[in-house]
Amino acid sequence: MSVAPAEALRPLLEEELDRPWITIVWNDPINLMSYVTYVFMAYFKYDRAKAELLMMDVHERGKAVVSTGTREEMERDVTAMHSYGLWATLQKDD
Amino acid sequence: MSTGFQRTRTGRTVLRVDAMEKTVLASLAEQMIAFVAPTQAAASGDPLAAIVGIDEVAETPTDPALARMFPAAYRDDDEAAGDFRRFTERDLRAHKIANASKVAGCLERHGEKLVLTADEALCWLGFLNDTRIAIGTRLEITEANHDELAELPAEDPRAGLFDVYDWLTFLQDSLVQLELDAD
Repeated sequence: MSVAPAEALRPLLEEELDRPWITIVWNDPINLMSYVTYVFMAYFKYDRAKAELLMMDVHERGKAVVSTGTREEMERDVTAMHSYGLWATLQKDD
Repeated sequence: MSTGFQRTRTGRTVLRVDAMEKTVLASLAEQMIAFVAPTQAAASGDPLAAIVGIDEVAETPTDPALARMFPAAYRDDDEAAGDFRRFTERDLRAHKIANASKVAGCLERHGEKLVLTADEALCWLGFLNDTRIAIGTRLEITEANHDELAELPAEDPRAGLFDVYDWLTFLQDSLVQLELDAD
């Protein structure tokens, strides 16, 4: 029988309960693929390979989850995406 | 047609444009400033709230181009979307106005060779994107009808607008490539 992790019974912190919110960027016919890649690199500091992968998801699947975090963090990310002109929304991760 | 944005060895961003192109860009900057200026309804109201950038009225713009530039942040929660808009839309409009103003200033200050700082180049990038969104939405561009719009007869009122859109696309992409290569 394994020993339960020492922290298993402690109450979850507020931010842990809050955690699963996501920012989604949606495809649109106007934003350039190169620009979307640039935005993911410039704002999220993703490397080019990851930024291009996310951009292709947006382009081909219609959307991509670009970040995960607290609701406040996702509101910040969505605000930033809107200021870059990308179409972004946030929601609780189901 | 200009060659698009180029970067000098010292890291400056250069755009060469002729007098006609400068006129078009200056006019677009002026139109953008007026287009995204806060509406009367949002501007009136609690002056204290206005000072801290909170609007009392926060509805999704009815103009499709504005609705695209100021989208709802929550898809299935109108109340949360309204709150978000009240707290963010004014700043977002101010940001777009600042970019367009910076572009207008660069055009006034320089002749046909615009030499931009790194910050100015980013303002141009934002401005070009905003302008393409506004014009592209007006043209109802989709991924399927781009070629069709490119073939419009000259007498079609959309033909001239599409030419401008296409040119702005070229300019923006040339600037994006410089920013991507810089990383």
